[in-house]
Amino acid sequence: MSSRCDRFIGSPVPRRKNRELLAGRATYVADIRLEGQVYARMVRSSSAHARLLGVDTSEARRVPGVIEVVTADDIGDIRIPIRLAFAESPEANQALQAPLARNVVRYVGEPVAVVVATDPYVAEDAAELVFVDLDELAPVLDTAAAGDPGQSLVHENLGSNTVNRLAFRYGDVDAAFAEADVVLQRRLRVHRLAAAPMETRGLVADYDRGSGVLTVWGGAKVKHFTRGLLSRVLGLAPSDVRVIEVEVGGGFGTRGEPYPEDILIAWLARRLERPVQWVEDRWEHMVATNHAREQEHDFELAASATGRMLGFRVRGWCDHGAYIRTQGLLPVVLPMVHLPGPYRWQAFSMDLDSVLTNRTPVGTYRGPGMTEATFVRERMVDILAAELEMDPADLRRRNLIPAESMPFTFSPGPGSSALIPISYQSGDFIESFDEMLTAAGYEELRAGQRRARARGQCAGVGMAAYIEFAAVGPFEEVEVICDGRGVVVRAGVGSLGQGVETALAQITAEMLGVDLEDVSVEFHDTAEVPQGFGAFASRSTVLAGNAIAAAVTEIRIKAAELLGCGPDDIELDHGTAVGPEGRSLPLTEVGPTRGRFEKDGLTASFGGAVCSVSVEPADGRVRVDRFLAAHDVGRAVNPRLLRGQLAGAASQGIGGALFEELAYDDNGQPLSVTFADYMMPTAAELPRVDVAVIEHGSPSNPLGIKGGGEAGMVGSLGAVVNGVADAVGADIVSSSVSPAHVWRALQARAEASTASED
Amino acid sequence: MKPAPFAYAAAESLDEALALLGEAGEDAKLLAGGQSLLPLLAYRLARPSHVIDIGGVPGLDGLDRRGDGLHVGALVRHAALERSDLNGGWQALREAASLIGHLPIRVRGTFGGSLAHADPAGELGVVAAALDADIVLRSARGERTVPAGEFFIAPLTTAAEPDEVLVEARLAVPGPGFRSVFEEFSPRVGDFAYASVAAGCCVGTDGSAHDVRIALGSVGPTPIRARAAEQALSGSTLDEATIAECAQMAAGTCDPAAGDWHADATYRRALIASLAERALTRLRDAR
Repeated sequence: MSSRCDRFIGSPVPRRKNRELLAGRATYVADIRLEGQVYARMVRSSSAHARLLGVDTSEARRVPGVIEVVTADDIGDIRIPIRLAFAESPEANQALQAPLARNVVRYVGEPVAVVVATDPYVAEDAAELVFVDLDELAPVLDTAAAGDPGQSLVHENLGSNTVNRLAFRYGDVDAAFAEADVVLQRRLRVHRLAAAPMETRGLVADYDRGSGVLTVWGGAKVKHFTRGLLSRVLGLAPSDVRVIEVEVGGGFGTRGEPYPEDILIAWLARRLERPVQWVEDRWEHMVATNHAREQEHDFELAASATGRMLGFRVRGWCDHGAYIRTQGLLPVVLPMVHLPGPYRWQAFSMDLDSVLTNRTPVGTYRGPGMTEATFVRERMVDILAAELEMDPADLRRRNLIPAESMPFTFSPGPGSSALIPISYQSGDFIESFDEMLTAAGYEELRAGQRRARARGQCAGVGMAAYIEFAAVGPFEEVEVICDGRGVVVRAGVGSLGQGVETALAQITAEMLGVDLEDVSVEFHDTAEVPQGFGAFASRSTVLAGNAIAAAVTEIRIKAAELLGCGPDDIELDHGTAVGPEGRSLPLTEVGPTRGRFEKDGLTASFGGAVCSVSVEPADGRVRVDRFLAAHDVGRAVNPRLLRGQLAGAASQGIGGALFEELAYDDNGQPLSVTFADYMMPTAAELPRVDVAVIEHGSPSNPLGIKGGGEAGMVGSLGAVVNGVADAVGADIVSSSVSPAHVWRALQARAEASTASED
Repeated sequence: MKPAPFAYAAAESLDEALALLGEAGEDAKLLAGGQSLLPLLAYRLARPSHVIDIGGVPGLDGLDRRGDGLHVGALVRHAALERSDLNGGWQALREAASLIGHLPIRVRGTFGGSLAHADPAGELGVVAAALDADIVLRSARGERTVPAGEFFIAPLTTAAEPDEVLVEARLAVPGPGFRSVFEEFSPRVGDFAYASVAAGCCVGTDGSAHDVRIALGSVGPTPIRARAAEQALSGSTLDEATIAECAQMAAGTCDPAAGDWHADATYRRALIASLAERALTRLRDAR
C-alpha cells in the first residue's frame, strides 16, 4: 500500500483504463444500442460548388424501413456559431455553416439531407435515392488567389473570399530590412492534413417526452458548449440537455466540436422521439470532419552577414475551406501569434488573410497554427543558414531570446489588428535549446551524416525551434468530495484518450494525501458536472489540476476552522485532517468543496525537434532515422504519459511530412478519401521517437504546469523538411516531402546543376 | 460503407459454384479471400446482384509441382506462397506474394482472386505475365486455358466470361538455370506499388542472358511485357552498362498515361528504370 510520503505528481503511473481499452471492454458510441434505435445517413454534396436547385426525397421515402428524410426546409434557419469570442468577426459570422445546405453547396461532402431508417443498410440504400439537383458553379481552389478579383464567390453575401485580413506590426520593419546584408524571399506552402483519429465521429441522441430531457452520447472535447448550443437551437432549457462522453478513439482537436451532424441528430431524436444513431464512415470522415493546415506564405527574411536575424515580412493566406466553423478565425489567428517564435527580432510585419475555398472546412488539429508557423519560419532559418554557410544550430542559438530578457513581449504597433501582445512569461530558451541538442546527440548526428556522405549516401540533419501557446482559460471549476470510501473529483474537462483522468487523480492524491486508487475523476456527464470548457489547447491538466489545488486549499481552510487551528498546521492523511495536539477530523465532515482556477491569456512554452534523415536518390524515399522532440512542460505530472503524448504527436507530424496529404483535383473533388490514399505512417515507417522533457516551471499557475499534449507535433514538419532539404541540397518550400516530391526536387537540382555547367 | 443489397450463396463444390454462377447471370461476383471485393462492396464501387462464395470449395488450394510445371490453385493464399519454398525460376512468385499488403491481407487474400481482380498494381499478375502463366478457366460449358498475355485486358477486366471460374494457373518448368526475381516500390510497407518489375532469365556460362522476361506493374492498364528490353538483353552480357541501358528501355515501355496524383508517369518511369536495374543486377549476381 502507498504511504502518505508518496509523491504522485511526477510519477510515471500507468494510464487509467489501459486494461479495458486494450481488452476491448470499453464502450464507444458505435457500441450503444437503445431500445427502438434508428439510424441516420447523411446525403452529401457530390459537387464542390453548385447551386442547389432542389432536393427530391420522394423515392427515398418509399423505401421500406425509411422513417424520415429531412432537408434544409424542414429544420429552419440554424447556423452553427463560433465557440470562442476572440475568434469571431462580423465577416466570419456571415460564413457560418447551416446543418443542411440551402441554395448553394460549397464543398464535396456538405450535408444536403438526412435519411433515417430502421437499419443502417436501408438508410444508406435510401440515401442514394435522394435526388439532389445541382447547377455547377466554378470552384475556388487556389488558396493564395482565392481573394483575388474575378474569382467566383464561396459566400456571395460576404462579397469576397477573404474573410478578414489580420495584421501585426512590431518595430520598424523597413529600417530592419534597410540594415540587412541578406534578404531572402520564398513562397512556402503547408499542405492540407487531417487528424484522422482511429475512431470516426458518431452520436446517439434520445429524447424522453416524459421528462423532456434530450440525452446525447458521443459528445467529447467541449460537452458543455455543445449542451448550450443544442438547448438554444432546439428551444430546450440547458438543464434538459445532457451530453455524455463515452470512450473516444482519438480526438486531436477535430472530434467533439459541434458539427452539422450534432445538430441534426439531436433535432431528429426530438422530432422522432426515438433514439437516433449516426456513425460516420471513413469516406465521410475524410470529407466531413475538419481538415487542417493548408496555407501559403510569402516570407521575406532580413539578416546581417554575421547571422543576426533582423526582421521578417510575411504575407500569408490561410485556407478556412468553405465555411467558418466553431473555431472561427483560429486557422489564421494561431499562425500569426506563432510566427515570430523564440527569436529576438528587431521588427516584423505580418499580414495574413483568412480565405474561403470550396473545400472541406478547416479547424484545429494538434499543434494548430503553431505547426504551420514553425514550418514556415524554421524552413526560412535553414535557408538562411545555407545562404550564410552557417551551422543551423549556431544560427538559431545566436538569435534566441536570452533568459535575461524574460518576460518578453512583442507589442503590436500601429497598423496592427486588435490583437493581444505576443508574450513569453518564462523560460531559458538558449539553455533549453542546448539541452535539446545534447539529448539529440547533435554533434554525433552531424558526424554520422559526414560518414554517410563519405559512403556516397544522401543524409541530412534537420531541426526546428518553436514557441507553443497553450493552456487557454477562462477557467475550470472542480468539485472534490470525500465520501469516506474515497475521493470523487468532478471536472468539466474531456478525455480524448490523453490520460487526463490519470494526471488529475495524481494531483488529487498527492495534495489530499490519499492513495491513487482511492481517487475517481468524473467528467463524462454534463448532468453531474455543471460546467466546463473542455479539452483543447493543451489546457485540461493545467486548468483542472490547478482547480483541484484550489479545492484542496479550501478543504484545508474549512478543516482548520473546524479544528480551531491554522490551515498550514493541518496534515491531510488518507481522508483525515490531522491538526496539532492530536486533534483530527474526517474529511467527510468538510463536505463537497469547490475549487476554481481562472487563467488570463496563454502560457508560452519553448520546444524543438531534431532529426536525422536519409534519402534514396533513385526513388525519393525518405527515412527518418532518428527523431527527438524537446518541450518545456513546466512540470511533468506524469512523465510516462507525457512521453507518449510527445512521441505520438511527433509520429503524426512525421507522417504528415512524409506521406499524408488531402489532395483535390481541379474540380474540387477530394482525392484522399480512403486510407489507401490518405497514407498514415505505420510502425514500419517511423523511427523510434525520443523525447527530452524540459521543466522550467510556469509562473502562470500554482502547480507550474505548461501544456504538453500537442507539443511533439509543433516542430515535426519543420525538422523533417529541413532534414530532407539538408540531405538533398534542394530548396524545398513545401511541407510535403513525399517520395514523388523529393524525387522531383532531386531532378530539379540535377537539371539546375547541369544547366550551370553548360 | 454498407454494401448495396446482393444475394449471397456459399458454394460447397466447384460444380455448385459453376451452377450458381450460371444461374446468377452477368452481374454476379465470386468471393474468395475478399480482400479486394469487400472494400469495393463497402464503397459501393461494385454492386453485384449475387455474391457467390467459393472460399469453402475444396480442391482449389493446391500448390503442386507436376511434370508439366507448377500448378497454383485459385485458393492458394498469398501467405502460403510467401512461406513456400519456391525458388529458382519460380522465386518471383514467392517474392511478389510477400509484398502484397499486410500479413492479415496475405493470410486471407487468394492467388486466383488477385489475378481475376486484374488490378494493374497487383503483384501476382505481373509475375504471371513475366512467366507466361497459363490461366485455367472453367465453366459449365467446359475448361479452357488463356495465356497470361491475353488474360489481362484492362484495369479490373479479364478474358474470363461471366460464367467462368479461374481455377488455377500453370507455370511451365523453367529452362535450366532460369531464375526470376520481383522488385517493387511502394511508399509505405504494404501499399499498392507505384511501380513493380518481375524479371527472369538464364545466365550462360559466358555471362550472357537468355530466355529474358521483364514484366512491369502499375505503369499501364495491365501488366506490360518490356519486349524491346528483353530482346536487347538476349544474348548480351549482363554488365552494368547493358543492365542500365535495358532498364531504361524497359522504362520506355511504360504507358505515358499511367499515373495518378501520388506518382505521375514521369516518376513511375524513373522507378521502373531503377527497379529493373536492381532486378537484373540480382539475376546477374545470383548466378
